[in-house]
Amino acid sequence: MATPVATVGAKRARKGVSADKAERRLATRMVAPSMILIAIVGAYPIGYAVWLSLHEYSVRTPGLSRFAEPYGLGNFEAALRSDTFWSAFVNTGVFTVISVTLELLLGLAMALAMHNAFKGRGLLRTVVLVPWAILTVVTAITWQTIFEPQLGFVNTMLNAVGIPGGDTVWLGQSPHAMGVMIFADVWKTAPFMALLILAGLQVISNEVYDAAKVDGATTWQRFMRITLPLLIPAILVALIFRTLDALRIFDLPFVLTKGAYGTNTLSLEAYEELRANRLIGLGSALSVLTFVIVMAVSFLYIRFVGGNIRSLTDEGKA
Amino acid sequence: MSTADATQSVVVPKARVREKARKPREGQHPALWIAVIAIIIFCLFPFYWLVNVSLKTGADLSGADLVPPNPTLDNYESIFRNDDFLNGLKNSAIVSLTTTALSLLIGSFAAYALARLKMRRKFMVLAIVLSVSTFPGIAIAAPVFKLWTDIGLYNTLPGLIIPYLTFALPLTIYILVSFFKEIPRDLEEAALVDGATNFQAFRKVVVPLAAPGLATAGILTFIAAWNEFLLAITLTSSSSARTVPAAIAFFTGSTQFELPLGTISAASVIISVPLILLVLLFQKRIVAGLTAGAVKG
Amino acid sequence: MTVPRRLLAALLMVAAMTFVVACGGDDDGGGDTGGGAAKESTGATDGTKAAPDLAAAEKAKGSVTYCTGKDTSGAQIKSTGQFNEKFKAQGLSAKLLEFPESADEQRNQFVQRQEAKSGECDIFYADVIWTAEFAAQKWLLDTSKYIEARKDEFIPSTLETVSFDGKYFGVPKQTDAGFLYYRTDQVETVPETWQAVYEEAAKQDGIVYQGAAYEGLTVDFLELAFAAGGQVLSEDGKKSVINSPENVKALQFMADGIKNGAAPKAVTTYMEEPARRAFESGRATFMRNWPYAYALGNKAKKVKGKFAVAPYPSFEGGGKAGILGGHNLVISAFSKNPEGALKMIDFLTSEEVIKQDAAEFTLAPVLNATYDDADVKEALPFSAELKQAVEQAKSRPVSPVYPQVSAAIYKNVNSALSGEMTPEAALKKADSEINSALATF
Repeated sequence: MATPVATVGAKRARKGVSADKAERRLATRMVAPSMILIAIVGAYPIGYAVWLSLHEYSVRTPGLSRFAEPYGLGNFEAALRSDTFWSAFVNTGVFTVISVTLELLLGLAMALAMHNAFKGRGLLRTVVLVPWAILTVVTAITWQTIFEPQLGFVNTMLNAVGIPGGDTVWLGQSPHAMGVMIFADVWKTAPFMALLILAGLQVISNEVYDAAKVDGATTWQRFMRITLPLLIPAILVALIFRTLDALRIFDLPFVLTKGAYGTNTLSLEAYEELRANRLIGLGSALSVLTFVIVMAVSFLYIRFVGGNIRSLTDEGKA
Repeated sequence: MSTADATQSVVVPKARVREKARKPREGQHPALWIAVIAIIIFCLFPFYWLVNVSLKTGADLSGADLVPPNPTLDNYESIFRNDDFLNGLKNSAIVSLTTTALSLLIGSFAAYALARLKMRRKFMVLAIVLSVSTFPGIAIAAPVFKLWTDIGLYNTLPGLIIPYLTFALPLTIYILVSFFKEIPRDLEEAALVDGATNFQAFRKVVVPLAAPGLATAGILTFIAAWNEFLLAITLTSSSSARTVPAAIAFFTGSTQFELPLGTISAASVIISVPLILLVLLFQKRIVAGLTAGAVKG
Repeated sequence: MTVPRRLLAALLMVAAMTFVVACGGDDDGGGDTGGGAAKESTGATDGTKAAPDLAAAEKAKGSVTYCTGKDTSGAQIKSTGQFNEKFKAQGLSAKLLEFPESADEQRNQFVQRQEAKSGECDIFYADVIWTAEFAAQKWLLDTSKYIEARKDEFIPSTLETVSFDGKYFGVPKQTDAGFLYYRTDQVETVPETWQAVYEEAAKQDGIVYQGAAYEGLTVDFLELAFAAGGQVLSEDGKKSVINSPENVKALQFMADGIKNGAAPKAVTTYMEEPARRAFESGRATFMRNWPYAYALGNKAKKVKGKFAVAPYPSFEGGGKAGILGGHNLVISAFSKNPEGALKMIDFLTSEEVIKQDAAEFTLAPVLNATYDDADVKEALPFSAELKQAVEQAKSRPVSPVYPQVSAAIYKNVNSALSGEMTPEAALKKADSEINSALATF
C-alpha cells in the first residue's frame, strides 16, 4: 500500500487544530438538519402538549380556557385521581409484562429450533418474518375475525370438537379480551424476537460447547451456563425496544375492543379523553404522563444497556 | 467479556458467523421436525385464514370452513372498484416513500457525522435522537392536530409526512450509524489523502459502500411508515389524504347488508402481499438491520 | 288607601316567581335539563350563522357531501340517487359518505372534522342527542327560518330534538321509537310485563337487545329505568339522581336476565345490527330494536312472515316508557355550499322522500301526514302505534355534555350486565361520574 496510514496521521497532525475545527463544523452542519427537524416535529409538539396540559379548555363554550388550578396541575391531579387512569396503568403494565415475557420465551424456543434444525431452516427464516410484515391493523382485524363469538374459527372449532367454551364471547369479557390482545401481540412479535435471538445464537462458537461436552455438561447445563449468558446482550436490547412498544400500545386495543372490557391502555385512555370526550387539557395531561412513564422505563434500561449506546459514538476502530 | 464487547460481536455479523453446517449423520430429531412444522403453522395460519375469508361471500361468510366452499374473487373485484381503498393505497405509497427518502437523506448525514466525525457532545445528540423515537404517538398527535388545523395542514399528505419523521429519523440514524462504523476507514483516509474534503469522502466513498445499510434502513422505515396508525387517524379524515391503515379501520364495506368481512379481508390481503414480498426479497438485509441494533419492528 | 294584606302577599309572590323564572334559567353551565329542550336563549349560541333562505337556495349548484353512518337500510343510498337525478340539470350533485356503524364512531368522525374546521361534511345525519353539544360548539347553521315555515308538518316531539337555546339547528329526518319484536310461531300472546317477557324468553330462545357499552345501551336501560319510575337528572338538571331504588331495580332485572339465560351472554357486545342478525337468523325469540329492522326482517329467509311487532310492555310496579330516537339533518357551519345543503335537506325531508323511507324501508316518519298514507299503513302495520309511541316518547337528558353523561351510564350498566359490578355499585359510580360531567367547564 503506497500511502500508509502513518503518513495520513502525520498529515493530520500537521494540519492539527484547523483540520479538527473543520471536521467539527462539518459534523455540526451534517447533524443540524436532523436536529432541527426533530426539534420541530418532536420537541415542539411535546412542549405544546405540556402547555395544553396546564390549562382547562371548555367543553361547553368553544374557545374558552383557563389555567388549571392549582398551579396548572389541575389536570394531572384529576388524572391521578381517576380510576380510569389507574386501571389503564395497570392494564398497560400487565399487558407489557406478560406479552414481553411470552414473546421472549416463545422467541427463544423458536430461535433454538431454527438454530438446530438444518432441514427447513431457510423456509423458517422467511416464514417467520410474515407476522412481522403484516400491518398491525390487519393483524387486529384478523384475530378479531378468528375470535368472533358466533362465526369465528376458534369457537366453531371448539364446538366441533366438543370442548366447552365454544360460546365464549372472547372480545366481550374482562379477562378474555386482554388474553386475545396479548395473544395477537405475541403472534406478531415473537417471530421477530426469534430472529434477534437467532443472530445472537449464531455468534456463539462451537468450541465453547465442545469444551463443555468434554467436561461432561448436560444439554440443559450447556444451555443455562453458556447459551443464556452469551445471549443476554441481544436479549436485553430486544427487550428494551419491545417493552417501550408494549407500553405505548394503541393500534391493537383500538381495533379489537376500543379499550373496553379491561383492555384500556395508557395511550388509548389519553386518546379517548382527547378525541371522544374532547377534554384537551386532561387528555394532554394523560399523554404527558404516558410519555413520562415511557421515558422513565427507557432511562432505567439505558443504565443497564448504556454501554451499547456509548460504543456507537466512538469514531470506530481504525 | 464485557457487555459492550459482547454486543459488538452481535453488531459485527457476516465475517464471523458460520452457519452450523452439520453433516446429517442421522435424520433430524423428530422433535425438531414437529417444532419446525408448528412454527410454520403458527406464523402462517392467520394469513391463510385471511385469504380464506377473502374468497368467501354471502352465506359462506357465516360459516367457518377452512376452505372456501365456493371460492370467488368478488371481494377483490369490489375492493378494486372502491375509491376509498385505492386512494388509501396511493396515499400510503406517497407518504411512505417520501418519508423514507427524506429520512434517508437527512438521516444519513447525521449518522455519518455521529459515526465518523469529531464532534462535541455526540452522546447527547444520540441520546436525544433515540429518546425522540420513544415518544408515545398520542403525545404528539393532539398538539400536531391543533397546529395543523390552524396552519391548514390538516388532512394533507405533507401533514402526515412531517410527523412521521419523528420516528423515521431516529430509526434511520440508529441503523446507519451501525452500518457506517463497519466500513473500514482506509478507503476514506485514502480519499482524504487524495485531496477530497470530508463531505466528498462521505458522498463518493462511504455512501456507495453503505448502500446495503441504506437499503435496510429504507425498507425498515418504509414498513414503519406504512404501518403507522395513530397519527393517520388523527390527522386525516377524507380519502384524499387517508392512508391504508386508517381506511381499513373505518371501512364500512362495499355492500349494504353484509358484514364487510369479505371485502375487508380482501383489502387486508392486498395490502399485506406487497409487504410480504418485500420482506421475502430482502429478508437477509432486514435481519441484518434488525440485529444491527435490535431496532423496533 | 292601604293594600289588603293578602293582595300584597299575592303580588309579592308573583313578583318573586317572576324574578326566579327570569334569573333561574341561567347558570354557568348553559342549561341542562332532565328532558325537553331549554326554551329561552341563554346566549350560549349567540353568533351562530344562519342557514340561507330556501328561496336563495333554489338555484344552488356544485356538490354536497352527505355524511351519514353506514346505510344499513338502503334508504339514504336510494334517496341520494334520486336527488342526483332530479337536480342533475342545474348542476347540483350529492355524494354519500358513510361512517362506521357505531353511533359513537359516527360522532367522532363528525366532531373531528368540525374541530378541524373542515367543510368536508356539508350535511350530517346527526343523532338527536347531539344537537345540544354541536349547537353549543357553534358547529351548526341556524335553521330556524326554514323550520318556522314548515312547523306544522312535523310531529312536535321531533322538533324538540332539533332545538336548543331557543333556536332550531337542523331539520328532523327520521324519528324512532323502539318496539318489542317477537316470533309469532313461538309466542302466542305478548306478555303484559317485561318480567313476563323475560320469563318467556328464558323458556324459549331468549331476548336480544343492545347491550354493548355504547349509546344504544343507554337507550335500552333508560327504557326500563323510566318505566320503573327512575330518572337521570334532577328537575333543574343540575345534579344526578340516577342512584335511586327504581333504577337499581331495573338494572338488577336486566343483569338477572342474563344470568338466568333470558338473554344470551353475547348480548353485552351487541349493537343494533348484531341483535337484528341474531333475531333474523332465528336464534332469538324476542328482540328490542328500532322499526328499521322490520323491513329487513321480512327480507330474511328464516323469519320472513313469522314475526310481529308489539309496543313495550309495562314494568311491574311501574309503567311503560319509550325513548325517542331518530336523526336530524344538520348543516355544518364550515360547509362551502350551504345553499346546496339546504336544497338537499329540503328534498330529503319532503313528503315524497319521507313517505318512501317509511313505506319501503320502515323508517319512522317525522311528518304528521305520512302516517295517514295508505302505502305506509300497509308497510308499517303498526303505524298507528308508532305515531303514538313517537308522540309520547321521552327524550334522553338534554345537555351539551350529554356524551359524557351517557358514557357514565352505559359503561357502568355494561359492567353490571357482564357481572363485573353489582347494580348498586354500578349506579353509584354512574352517579358520581354524571355529577363530574355536569360540572364540566
